[in-house]
Amino acid sequence: MKACLLFLLLAAFLLVPPVARAQSAPQLQAQADVDTVGVGDVVHLELSAQSGEGMPTDPQPGATPGFVVRGQSSSPSQTHISINGNRIDRFGLTVDWALLAQRVGTFSVGPPTVSVGGSRFAARPVTIHVVPAGQGPQRQQQQNQNPTPFPQGFSPFDPWRGLFPGVDPGAQSSVVTDPRLALDAPGGTFYFLHAVVDNPSAVVGQQVTFSVYEYLDEGAGAGIEVDPADVHDPTAAEFVKHPLLRDDQEAILVGYASVAGRVWKVNLVRRWALFPLHAGDLVIGPMSVTLLRPRSAAGSKRATDLLHVRVTEPPGAGRPPGYALGDVGHFSLAAQVTPRDLEQGGAVGVHVELSGKGNVPAAMAPPARPGVEWLAPEVHEQLGSVGREADTFGGKRVFDYVVRVHLAGDVDLGEVSLPFWDPDQKRYAVARATLGTVHVKPTAAAPASSGDGPEQETLPGLPPPREALEGTAPSHAHPDDSRLYWLLGVGAWPAAFGIAVAGRAAGRRMTRAWHARRASPATDLKERVTAANAACHGKDARAADAAIAHALEAAAIAHAGVSVRGAVGDEVVHRLEDAGVARDAASRVAELLRECEAARFAPDAADVLSARDRWLRAQGAIRQLVKR
Amino acid sequence: MRGLGFLFAFLVLFSCASTARAQDDPGTLFAQATQALKEGRAGDAIASFEALADRGVVDAVASYDRGLAYATRVRIGAEVPGDLGRAAHGFEEARDLSRDVRLTDDATHALTVVRSEVARRRTRAGQPVEVDPGRSLARTVSSLLAEDTWAVLAAASSALLALGLFVRWLAGAPRWRVACGVVAGVAAPVLAVSIAMTLAARHDRLVLREAVVVTSSARPSDERGIALAGATPLPEGARVEIVEARGPWTRVRFGSIDVSVAAGALRDLAR
Repeated sequence: MKACLLFLLLAAFLLVPPVARAQSAPQLQAQADVDTVGVGDVVHLELSAQSGEGMPTDPQPGATPGFVVRGQSSSPSQTHISINGNRIDRFGLTVDWALLAQRVGTFSVGPPTVSVGGSRFAARPVTIHVVPAGQGPQRQQQQNQNPTPFPQGFSPFDPWRGLFPGVDPGAQSSVVTDPRLALDAPGGTFYFLHAVVDNPSAVVGQQVTFSVYEYLDEGAGAGIEVDPADVHDPTAAEFVKHPLLRDDQEAILVGYASVAGRVWKVNLVRRWALFPLHAGDLVIGPMSVTLLRPRSAAGSKRATDLLHVRVTEPPGAGRPPGYALGDVGHFSLAAQVTPRDLEQGGAVGVHVELSGKGNVPAAMAPPARPGVEWLAPEVHEQLGSVGREADTFGGKRVFDYVVRVHLAGDVDLGEVSLPFWDPDQKRYAVARATLGTVHVKPTAAAPASSGDGPEQETLPGLPPPREALEGTAPSHAHPDDSRLYWLLGVGAWPAAFGIAVAGRAAGRRMTRAWHARRASPATDLKERVTAANAACHGKDARAADAAIAHALEAAAIAHAGVSVRGAVGDEVVHRLEDAGVARDAASRVAELLRECEAARFAPDAADVLSARDRWLRAQGAIRQLVKR
Repeated sequence: MRGLGFLFAFLVLFSCASTARAQDDPGTLFAQATQALKEGRAGDAIASFEALADRGVVDAVASYDRGLAYATRVRIGAEVPGDLGRAAHGFEEARDLSRDVRLTDDATHALTVVRSEVARRRTRAGQPVEVDPGRSLARTVSSLLAEDTWAVLAAASSALLALGLFVRWLAGAPRWRVACGVVAGVAAPVLAVSIAMTLAARHDRLVLREAVVVTSSARPSDERGIALAGATPLPEGARVEIVEARGPWTRVRFGSIDVSVAAGALRDLAR
């Protein structure tokens, strides 16, 4: 029994080609562009093969039950990298088979295979559902054409429709409407656009699926045509946009809707995966078209509403180190290191494959280690719509690094990791791929295995790190933030001095004004009149006459502006007349002055009563001077 | 049996919560970061230091070590574009935040090393080597003293000026009048300068926003974001003053240059 087993093992060892034993298996991935098609539709089966050993050749689709192969196209690619004499080669082959569905059922197609170095390798088979003709998700519209002699109209989203004029079967009364497509009211007659997002609130980097549907009135009985030159796509400047429908893809009939009691045919014309770039209330602009037909609506615009998406950042709590804002989705990492054995100073190739759905990061942070130098990667990507309804963006990005190892011995390359926010689970997760250890043989030409080869030249003399936080400085109030500081601390002193100087100057001005006021003719007249009154009530007639004379002289100055003091004879009258006083009044003043002078200097005793009489007449003369 | 199940579930939940708490704890993050930095795992250290910054931790040592982590990644040959700028940012922030003279000196020295490397690369590329045009004269003078010191000086010189003027005004003796005139004559310009510096320092504290260029080529643009023909990119690691932030573009002042650059090319300095 043991001998038989040994014989079998030996036979197997001899039968397997030596090349196949020496090489590692190529990376193969097979996928179909759709997973459900109708009978008569074409599905594309794509095989992608990557190998470091040789160019994949002789691609075969494998078993294709239910399908007929209608065509095949191949795209080979090669990458050669040479560093320090170490050459790294990568060979790629992408093959596309067009398969025509022939019968209803669920079929496992493949596995597709390729040959590398004389050995054949197989990918995983692909399962495709075939439904009856016309029921495929993307080919239903073509199946529903019904030729008639009348043109049906043109849609820019369905440019082929005009080539096959006919009545759209959607107008038939037997159609089944989809309540999910129903609206409260139509956005226009005959035709309107309706835009929706699947999620009005998201985090930065989370996919928001934006869809625009056109609604065509099935009961209008008239051809509807949109001006293809006046179609304006929505603006979404604050998002990264990835179309989930191909640019050249026909509009997709998604069903029929009942809106305001009428049946509308609903086509999907735009579907984008939008990834918000920052937090805030982000706006998606309207999409607009202009109708050409029917004639009654020609020239009228149809536009979608503005849509708002409220975007926040993922929570800070639990955020793993290394998380980059915008890394949202669900991702996985796989890595391959070849070769594992090298000489010191040589290089290995690190093949990192990042796959998943969501905002697939465009860059990866390699694990930086001393003595391990990561060169800029070569990046390949296969991104697009994924999922059963093709409403999710995703795929894979491949990063091919060349890594130079300056150390000798067993060198641990560490692991590549990608922290991300999973919006479905509402938590952070980390995708990891361990790179493992490479075995580096020391060479005499290479520097000693200290790992300090490159850093001897770059950034020498950096100071050592610190190991304890310093703590935040206690915040304190600044005096200059207070108004009191500026008012009392800085402004009060000069202000006090200014007030003192100004006060003193004002006091001086008031004193001068007071004195000036006291020296005015009117004040003098008032004082003279008061003195005359007082003197006339006394017993000294000479004093009374003197006071009366002074009052008259003061009145002449105050009211006529002329001094009559010292004037003799008719000079008093002349002066007063020259000043504009009437002759009669001037004469009375002159007469009274003469009488007063005579009484004051008469040798006889003076009579007080006469003086009082003269004062009465003098007051009348003064009033005449006032009336002048 | 059911009790054991509950106990097990409780322990699992408790351990998960503890892990989450430890992951959010700044002290733990800092310890992880410094450990990774000591072991030369620059990428891991950077991730932890950045996580620390994301949690709002503003600390001179954290900024300094973060700068060292980026510089280490450059040293070990795993440089990611912008690492030199981010290293300079960490050192600049540490210099601004620190109250420790030795840490400030180390940060200044490290900054010199990083900027020398940037200047060396720019020389190779045939670009101007000026990386640090320095601060304006007014800002240099205002930073000679602390804002509070300028404020106290302003108040003292104000009082002295008023006192000199009063005494000179009221005094009869000529020697007093001359002495007080001299005092007032000195106090007046000191008052003017100290008020100006107090206001400048206060403005810097409340309004001034600065950033560091963290890309290898921050291409100057006009206000519409159109790249200026013939303009030299701002040097990586340069400290610039933010004049105005407008959407994806930020207007900055670098020395005597006043241009707009992409907002992503800058990283604000924490205050």
